[in-house]
Amino acid sequence: MKRVAYYKGCLASLSAKELDTSTQALAPKVGLELIELKSVTCCGAGDIHEAEPDYYLHLNARILAYAEAADCDTLLTVCNVCTLNLRQANFMLQGDANLLDRINENLKTVGVPQYSGKVDVRHLLWEIAEGEGYEKLKVAAHKGLKGLKVAPFYGCQILRPSKIMQFEDPDRPWSLERIIEACGGEAIDYPAKIKCCGFPIIQAREETALGELIQPVEQAMEAGADVMVTPCPLCHLSLDAWQQKLEAATGRKFGMPILHLSQLVGVAAGLEESELKFKRHIVDPRPALDKLRV
Amino acid sequence: MQVALKIWRYDSSTGERALREYEFDAPEEATLLDCLDIVKERQDGTLAYRKSCRMMICGSCGMRMNGAAVLACKVRMYEIAQAGEVPVISAMGNLPIVKDLVVDMDSFWQKFKAMKPYLQPGYEEPEDGREYRISQERMNAVHKESLCVNCGCCVSECIAMESDPEFLGPQALAKGMRFVGDPRDAATVERLEEYSGEHGIWECTRCFFCNERCPKGVDPRDAIAKLGAEAIKEGIDRDMGAKHAKWFIRSTETTGWLRETELVPKTQGVVSSVKQMKFAMKLISHNKAGLAFPPHVAADVGEARALHKLVHEQGRLGFEGHVQGERALAKLAHGYKEGRDPYAPGSFPRPYLPEGEA
Repeated sequence: MKRVAYYKGCLASLSAKELDTSTQALAPKVGLELIELKSVTCCGAGDIHEAEPDYYLHLNARILAYAEAADCDTLLTVCNVCTLNLRQANFMLQGDANLLDRINENLKTVGVPQYSGKVDVRHLLWEIAEGEGYEKLKVAAHKGLKGLKVAPFYGCQILRPSKIMQFEDPDRPWSLERIIEACGGEAIDYPAKIKCCGFPIIQAREETALGELIQPVEQAMEAGADVMVTPCPLCHLSLDAWQQKLEAATGRKFGMPILHLSQLVGVAAGLEESELKFKRHIVDPRPALDKLRV
Repeated sequence: MQVALKIWRYDSSTGERALREYEFDAPEEATLLDCLDIVKERQDGTLAYRKSCRMMICGSCGMRMNGAAVLACKVRMYEIAQAGEVPVISAMGNLPIVKDLVVDMDSFWQKFKAMKPYLQPGYEEPEDGREYRISQERMNAVHKESLCVNCGCCVSECIAMESDPEFLGPQALAKGMRFVGDPRDAATVERLEEYSGEHGIWECTRCFFCNERCPKGVDPRDAIAKLGAEAIKEGIDRDMGAKHAKWFIRSTETTGWLRETELVPKTQGVVSSVKQMKFAMKLISHNKAGLAFPPHVAADVGEARALHKLVHEQGRLGFEGHVQGERALAKLAHGYKEGRDPYAPGSFPRPYLPEGEA
């Protein structure tokens, strides 16, 4: 078992609780022991990063410091936005000794443990797309999705900026496809899988956001996907909940079920409904998943 | 070396598009632009594309290779040709095609001009009568933005602009930051007001395509974030995007986690939020929204509150907060590794040199 500090983030704590329960249930099956951090806060999303960058850096340094204090080398994320924020802050701190000193001094003043820069921030997707995690996944989720056509949707902030992500080619990613296939599903290809769901501006510029959202939903549907899967709860919320606004705006019916990564693998690995919590979705994925039982 | 390219041709007189393949011999050091020159000289004189300096400074030869915007003069073809790939070359996105690889840059230049991309001086003349000198520290604040060559690669890929063509976009906003960050400019507040409009700073969807594609390391998304920080610092926060951002700050200070349910009224105001009630009820019925009882509060949240107070006292607000992290991030951009001498032989891959000469 790999011991990792588990950073849930805001959505998995509240509106996307199903992401948390399915991740917790899946973790031991893919060789991860989750150490939940109690004293951490929101990473600030892109919002605090943009508005008050110095505060953003301190908030994220505090999260990293608590991961280090829990004696973990890896901070596990389940959200693209958390991944970008934490990795970016981590590189800022690791790459500039003066900056790290200044932030540590401030952390000390308010009673937060010091951060030495030794934690690596990794998304669940990366943990199960290669290495030990992938080997365990293949066993746990063997052929569980046979016959299911799954459209992978990466979302932006797990691919770009690639210099911060350092995992896969941002234009030709492979990790979600590899996982879908390991679970016996069929990965559907479509151009918008690396594009944007519109979530960051969905409240401030709804029309522009919906114009972005329609691309992946429409293309996945036209490519014959039964379901879509995403590693990001913000993309999930946008794709799942705002899909009804897309339908109202276009007069079309999409009805595309959206799964969190941990749910998709969870289905293949035989998790219970109490862990998957599909009832919480706006577009119910259960009818699409029923074909797996036949 | 043998090179093969597929090029999307477009005939403006007939409106027809066609994908044509070309194969030819090119020197091993050839760039994509060199290859296009070869095609035009030897195979098809009607091929249209823009070029000038051939050394990544004029910004003329922006186009797409396999769907991703590049400067043709920056892309070496050796590895691509060796791998037997046949890349597809097409015109940039988000701008209408005039012919083949040439796009109409009118809307690009209109947005550029709308930023008033020139100094609005108002600084005090130095007493010694000499020139106004800017400290290195202040130069650093706009160093990346100053590298822009107006090629349009970022605009080509901007997803917000695909959805709303009126969005000012990454190039114009990065240019705006270049002047907002210039201590000689006296119109900072007016600029921030203008850039905070309906199609400005807060319409950026944070997809990071612009940072990914920029051939000069401008990182336009980071420049937009600098403008956002500066606008907030100056109290220019009427836009819903700014209010949205401020609610995140308030949330981390109070419960530690985002107070999701209150985000809509705090961003859009109460009146607009009422219009969202039907949508909200649907979310509530699926437990996607609503108030958490007991409230979801992070342990030791007082520490976050104290940090917020502390950073305000230290006053590193606005773009300064972004600039402090750029030094470390630049190391990533340049493939920096601790202990590596960047000038030693073999430090830079030189794929275009024949074997034995590298």
